[in-house]
Amino acid sequence: MNILAIDTSCDETSAAVVQDDHIVANIISSQVELHTPFGGVVPMIAKRAHEERIDPVIQKALKRAHLTLKHIDVFAVTYGPGLAIALEVGVRRAKELAQEYGKPLIAVNHMEGHIYAMFADVKKVLPHLPLLALLVSGGHTELVLMKNHGVYELIGQTVDDAAGEAFDKVARMLGLGYPGGALLAKLAEEGNPRAYSFTIPMTRTGDLNFSFSGIKTAVMRLMKELSHDGTRVLAKKEIMDIAASFQHISVEHVVRKTVTAVERTHVQTVIIGGGVSANLLLRKTLRARLKPLGVSVLYPTDKKLCMDNAAMIGVVAYYKAQRKEFVQNIEKLDRNPVTEITD
Amino acid sequence: MKILDLRATSEKEGISAAISTLKNGGLVVYPTETTYGIGADATNQRSMNKLLQYKKRREGKPLSIAVSDQSMAEVYVELNAAAKKVYKTFLPGPVTVVSKSKGNVAKGVASETGAVGIRIPKYSLILQLIKAYGKPITATGANASYKKRPYMIQDIFSNISEKQKSLIDLVLDAGELPHNEPSTVIDTTLDDIEVLRQGSITFSEQSQIKTHSAEETVHLGKKIVQKYKNLLSYKALVFCLVGELGAGKTQFSKGIAEGLGIKKTIVSPTFTLSRNYPFEGEGKALEFVHIDTWRLFSNQEFLDLGFAQMIDACDVIAVEWADKVRDVLNQYSDEAKLIWVKFEYGKDENERIITI
Repeated sequence: MNILAIDTSCDETSAAVVQDDHIVANIISSQVELHTPFGGVVPMIAKRAHEERIDPVIQKALKRAHLTLKHIDVFAVTYGPGLAIALEVGVRRAKELAQEYGKPLIAVNHMEGHIYAMFADVKKVLPHLPLLALLVSGGHTELVLMKNHGVYELIGQTVDDAAGEAFDKVARMLGLGYPGGALLAKLAEEGNPRAYSFTIPMTRTGDLNFSFSGIKTAVMRLMKELSHDGTRVLAKKEIMDIAASFQHISVEHVVRKTVTAVERTHVQTVIIGGGVSANLLLRKTLRARLKPLGVSVLYPTDKKLCMDNAAMIGVVAYYKAQRKEFVQNIEKLDRNPVTEITD
Repeated sequence: MKILDLRATSEKEGISAAISTLKNGGLVVYPTETTYGIGADATNQRSMNKLLQYKKRREGKPLSIAVSDQSMAEVYVELNAAAKKVYKTFLPGPVTVVSKSKGNVAKGVASETGAVGIRIPKYSLILQLIKAYGKPITATGANASYKKRPYMIQDIFSNISEKQKSLIDLVLDAGELPHNEPSTVIDTTLDDIEVLRQGSITFSEQSQIKTHSAEETVHLGKKIVQKYKNLLSYKALVFCLVGELGAGKTQFSKGIAEGLGIKKTIVSPTFTLSRNYPFEGEGKALEFVHIDTWRLFSNQEFLDLGFAQMIDACDVIAVEWADKVRDVLNQYSDEAKLIWVKFEYGKDENERIITI
């Protein structure tokens, strides 16, 4: 089955060709370059860039797979969650293609895609079900219990900021530019994670939810104090130490909640998905804590599969196609920027 | 005229003296949390005539009356949803709520259009007095109309004629009162609140509140939205939130959602720009839209989120970093109720200064 998948959920325009669950082409035209001068994703620019790039990106994916649109059996597209006006671009194009070529369309939840990134590489053994997915990105921080294919339970989520968002905001406070999260993590490698102590949030709530606004505010206060209300420029060492201390406490928070979730759900497998899954400290710490419990921690080894990409959407579509979960009324399909994985 | 110094008299004595005066159709000058008021039995025509002789020049304006609680109020006026909300939030307190009369008061109390202002003073002695008396008493200022605000007995006496003075039967003197503004008078007869006189409780002017924890900020958001919720029958509510990172904008938004009865967790909309949460308000299916302009670049992008449609639908909208789109927001100041809320860090770690 040849699947053409499209994802325009945030700042990447991506198209992929997937044959069954095998990724043949996964093209990501990152917009990061465009956004950098503004210190954040700029929606209008994102929309225009998606519009400009969507067709070339689709063509490139097809070319790499040595296929044309006529060979495509199923079209798939991310309908949410994400940036409304960015999602619209992908959804519109996918609808047009499905209608023009008279082929079925599958609407995919972006977060489901991050889980299925782990079901893509057929050379490996597939993750064992049920599993726990820790999905951490710029817009989400959630713990999803995947009981079976397409059967999910959202068992924990952030009550305020997403982890990636906190990383980006703290990075901006530290003057690191955009995209800040990755830069902050890099800087943190050279800092002392115990230089400043922040409180781990939500340790006594008894639930599996996350919170990052408190840490963010604590960093803000610390910086004000260290810089004497902005009258003194922070030394590089101080910035590195703040970055390291912030990252340490954030990772500790995420890891503790995940371990608790494992203890409660008794799963044998944890997968990490979403942009923040590329964070080395998170991977390392989670593995170290879960290994003694006999739980395996998986994450995509292909860097592209950690990012927002269309291949993972194609893999979800393959599984959905098995269950015949096609869009019934293509004309009526609309983006849903706040959809949840359980919807 | 008898003058009872409340600082030297027991409460019980003050109350029983006032009750016997009221029963006999007399006028009592009494303290409240705002100014001195003049009380007469609002159901006794003879008392009312005497009061109107004292106050003069009413020109069809309603007289307000003081009751002990909401159930006593409901004997005399019809409370609509808007009025009930104000009662719940602000009474007892320095707010006079004008509602439609049920006709159980003496002639001259209600306005020409049949409206009566109700006060529930936040002044324990007076609440006890009214409760014991079992009937409402007038709650108009003890000054002659348009004269100096009466914060002490002398303020009254030096501005009235001997003839007026002779009409007063009893004075409950509590000394000089704190110079609080007179009550805010709001009209609820049109199912919407309209400020007739601005007092210490502001329905439009700025007020500053300190919160000491995230929970308190949430609670404030809840209180504020409840205050304005009744406007939703014809207007969108836009909370324009201004303040730096971590100052409490999202916490306040959580409170707004809570006040609207939304059960879903309100999370930061930075990534998705806006998040919509459906709720039922004023009998309609509405949405709470939480917008974050942090990543926005221009006013046009803000409009692209569908802001005009949200205003038309009478939704509740919370805009974080609203100062970035101030010009656009101000264009909608007629169609929507804009409520600007500023958040600042306080001295202590968890303290926030919130200006509304």
